[in-house]
Amino acid sequence: MFATLAAAMLVTLAPQRQSDTSVAVPAGASLSVNNFGGGITVHGWTENRVKVHGETGRRGRVEVSLVGNTVVVKTGSREGAPSVIDLDITVPQSMELNLSGTYADITVDGVQGPISAETVNGEVNVRGGKGNITLHSIQGAVTLADASGRIEVNSVNEDIELTNVSGEIKVETTNGGLTMTGIQSSSVDAGTINGDVVYEGTVKDGGSYSFGSHNGDISVSIPEGANVTVTTATANGDIEACFALPLTSTTGKHRKTFKIGSGSARMELESFQGDIRMCRPQEMRDRIDRKHKRNEHEHEHDNDNDNDHDADTDTSFGWDPGSVSAYATRYAAAYAPKYAAQYAAQYAPRYARQYAKLYSRQFKNTYHLNTH
Amino acid sequence: MNDQWTNRLSEYLDGELDSTERASLEAHLATCGHCYATLGELRQVVARAKSLEDSPPANDLWVGIRAGLTTARGADRPAVRPSGRRFSFTVPQLIAASIALVLLSGGSAWLALQRSPNTADRGTVTQPDPNARLAGWTGSTDVAIAELQAALVQNEKRLDSSTVRIVRKNLAIIDRAISEARIALRNDPGNAYLNLHLADTMRRKVELLRRVNDMAAARS
Repeated sequence: MFATLAAAMLVTLAPQRQSDTSVAVPAGASLSVNNFGGGITVHGWTENRVKVHGETGRRGRVEVSLVGNTVVVKTGSREGAPSVIDLDITVPQSMELNLSGTYADITVDGVQGPISAETVNGEVNVRGGKGNITLHSIQGAVTLADASGRIEVNSVNEDIELTNVSGEIKVETTNGGLTMTGIQSSSVDAGTINGDVVYEGTVKDGGSYSFGSHNGDISVSIPEGANVTVTTATANGDIEACFALPLTSTTGKHRKTFKIGSGSARMELESFQGDIRMCRPQEMRDRIDRKHKRNEHEHEHDNDNDNDHDADTDTSFGWDPGSVSAYATRYAAAYAPKYAAQYAAQYAPRYARQYAKLYSRQFKNTYHLNTH
Repeated sequence: MNDQWTNRLSEYLDGELDSTERASLEAHLATCGHCYATLGELRQVVARAKSLEDSPPANDLWVGIRAGLTTARGADRPAVRPSGRRFSFTVPQLIAASIALVLLSGGSAWLALQRSPNTADRGTVTQPDPNARLAGWTGSTDVAIAELQAALVQNEKRLDSSTVRIVRKNLAIIDRAISEARIALRNDPGNAYLNLHLADTMRRKVELLRRVNDMAAARS
């Protein structure tokens, strides 16, 4: 074990290669990036150039080319399995982006063009964007802020968060919550199987809003003066409102309809197992703030980073002087998670890269992967 | 996929194509799994629609309609009640159609290519008891899911173990939701919300399976 760690640390200390490439681009050019593992970070700037900075391992390589009107960035390995490569790319602010990865976190900031970002195992965090914006991850949270256009955000196993987003919005995950705040839209379609759905945003006349979950609660804000027909349906949950709701009709034992104002917008709130809540925007914002603070508090006290409340790490035990081994065991139980988390946070990224290289090489040999 | 022919399958079913077009479409059907599958779904919807009994409206609207027609045509011409029947689709029929659209939308080559003729054309579904009706409209989706899952078993070796684990975990979550919705529907088979919820949950499973299969295929 120690030999393995020492070897890994020695490898880690080996110098990383860096590459820098700059390409002048015509107006209307787009960027296409494919990075198997590592990170893709894109920033916007005012120059008409694309600057690509790559941090590769010893065998990794970054290829930058201009194909037609598209700057193409590809990563690969000089030999063996795909390398873990971090890309930091600066582009003209209005540039269209097409970013894809497999084990890659994708981050975009300060770009005001269309964005497509897709990864399998990694987070997608985007601030900015205009036009068609499509963000996908299988195993990773997805966040989008300060964007407008036709928005499609999709995850499978994590949460999705939209903040200050406007346009036509479609959001879907399977095992995660959906939180939308500061939304300006007349068309929102958001659904999950296992998670809560929270919406704080506009309800425009003639708009269409659909929020659904199987196992979670639905919480939406209805602004004062909104004209909306709300149809709620829940098989096992309750329906609550922070204000008086005029019940228009009841269909069967599960579906209720409320007409607010002229009822011109349509809103469907459906949860099979969860509750449905309607509040005013400020109340909803307060709820969201409290939820964020609670999450931060839990995170701070979740020393072992396993998303529980660490109820099992009670340090107020009585010392039994007759049993040193019992003391040691309890001491370890109390403090090991804390130090494990601390050291994991410190060393995990470094070892993760090394082991990614090691195992990808093994997988390559086993499955005869065709690499660059 | 051939959009030109896909959009004309309904005319084909209704016998509205001329002989040349009909022959061309039939030749195309012999080689296009996608169109063949679409045709099967359309046949199923139409067959179900035809099998429905006429149900009179709660209020007899015909009196008012006849009065309107009489006024429009002139009092001297007798009003004739139309003998042709307009189809009125039930929730399950609409669900079946909507899922068919999901299954057949872009990127579903997996399904179209792997669907066998026997599963594509499942013939008429008659008016059964409510539970059998549920089985009827979910049947085509169940078949599609089974085929996509079989494809996934073949394809998942192209994916790394952590992705496979996550996909399986999420499929299990969806399966649990489907199971709960089915149980609820057995107790309340006519409930529109439960029907739509089950349909939407099954759609999610189809989309996840399709997405993962497409992802695996891209790595081949």
